[in-house]
Amino acid sequence: MSYIVEMKDIYKSFGDIEVLKGFNLKLREKEKVVIIGPSGSGKSTVLRCINRLEPIQRGSIIFAGDEITTKTDLCMLRTHIGMVFQRFNLFPHKTVLENIIEAPTIVKKMPLDTAKDIAIQILDRVGLADKQSSYPKELSGGQQQRVAIARALAMSPKIMLFDEPTSALDPELVGEVLLVMKDLAMEGMTMVVVTHEMDFAREVADRVIFMDQGIIVEEGTPHEFFANPACERTKMFLKRIKH
Amino acid sequence: MNLDYSIVIAKFPILLEGCWVTLQISFFSLLLGMIFGIAGALCRISSNSILNSLAFLYVWIIRGTPVMVQLFILYFGLPQLGIKLSSMTAGILGLAINTGAYITEIIRAGIQAVDKGQMEAAVSLGMNYRQAMVRIIGPQAAKICIPPLVNQFIMTLKNSSIASLVTIVELLRTGEQLIYTTFRSFEVYTTIAVLYLIMNSFFMVVADKLEKRMARQ
Ligand SMILES: Nc1ncnc2c1ncn2[C@@H]1O[C@H](COP(=O)(O)OP(=O)(O)OP(=O)(O)O)[C@@H](O)[C@H]1O
Ligand SMILES: [Mg+2]
Repeated sequence: MSYIVEMKDIYKSFGDIEVLKGFNLKLREKEKVVIIGPSGSGKSTVLRCINRLEPIQRGSIIFAGDEITTKTDLCMLRTHIGMVFQRFNLFPHKTVLENIIEAPTIVKKMPLDTAKDIAIQILDRVGLADKQSSYPKELSGGQQQRVAIARALAMSPKIMLFDEPTSALDPELVGEVLLVMKDLAMEGMTMVVVTHEMDFAREVADRVIFMDQGIIVEEGTPHEFFANPACERTKMFLKRIKH
Repeated sequence: MNLDYSIVIAKFPILLEGCWVTLQISFFSLLLGMIFGIAGALCRISSNSILNSLAFLYVWIIRGTPVMVQLFILYFGLPQLGIKLSSMTAGILGLAINTGAYITEIIRAGIQAVDKGQMEAAVSLGMNYRQAMVRIIGPQAAKICIPPLVNQFIMTLKNSSIASLVTIVELLRTGEQLIYTTFRSFEVYTTIAVLYLIMNSFFMVVADKLEKRMARQ
């Protein structure tokens, strides 16, 4: 069995604070994993280690068979890993279309016309074909997040990482973003999603992981996980976020 | 009270020549100052601690000493070490070094004011540091920097009057020479003030237009 991502015994600290304490995760191609856990448990840090936004102190990370733990040329690696942020992080000085074609043209040196064609196709997929010449600030939060997803997809990544993609959104805008993510899941994208949207986890995830204090406390299929959580901490957490 | 501007009007072409010199000093010291400032800011944010300390030292020394003393060191001090600069070179270089320190701080602050998520988004897409700085961070920082930079440009244009003290015959010095022969201090100084105001207003108008044009983004 081959894995697209393998994180083995990861230790990560910020100064004196140890955030990941022997974290392990293996991800198969096309697998959809949802990570939940209390604030500060290290969920974002896990995602940021996968594309090496954060250096780690110990352990090893393997991406698509390549050891990347100490790799120094990270640009190529990152083109394969799409990342979607809680706060969208669109480029405010560029239009929607420019946001999407930026990396394909600059990093992949794709011809402008090709990049535009691809961008328009992807915009169509996320339901924003008519917004290509708007600036980010002219869009709602939900629209901005969909553009951010489109921007990541334009690089044809092998895997997509989502860090609480809907938690900065007004409740009525959450649905449209989750819908795009569900479509993506259906098309077979490998996904790691940090979210507190339990319905999304139930519907989409192959595996749900509960993290606390820098390690995986419990994991399982959504069915097992939500019906019979084994650990007391998981039960308490699930009870808490229901309210 | 007997004010008589006719003398000033008669000698106006001489004052305009002074303006021209002032503009030249300002232009070249700003151009050079921008280069020092951009280089300084990049050093200040770099992870290389030597570059970082050098830029810090530069800003610290220049901001902590009077611009007049800096010019005097260049023009009157350096010859003692065998380095003799023309008054124009000393004037422009001195003002450039001075304004460059302030511009370093302006640009550093501008770059650091850009949301950290922008750099993360850029590198997550596979851009390298240079691509992200030039295409993503730079344009946003530039927008933030425009108002304080305009202030600094205005400051430099006014500071160029200090160049008169290293014997450059710019606007202020031209006026003073006029006063020696006409004894019309009030008329000459007020005319000079108006001429400085006009030159600076030009900066302000251009800056205003630039800011409005960037506002949509
Ligand atoms: N750049 C940083 N410098 C110092 N400490 C950090 C940094 N980033 C994260 N931390 C700390 O690491 C811990 C884990 O952070 P992380 O963002 O991974 O948690 P999280 O599970 O994503 O939490 P949240 O649900 O609040 O997003 C927290 O205690 C946080 O304060
Ligand atoms: Mg987080």
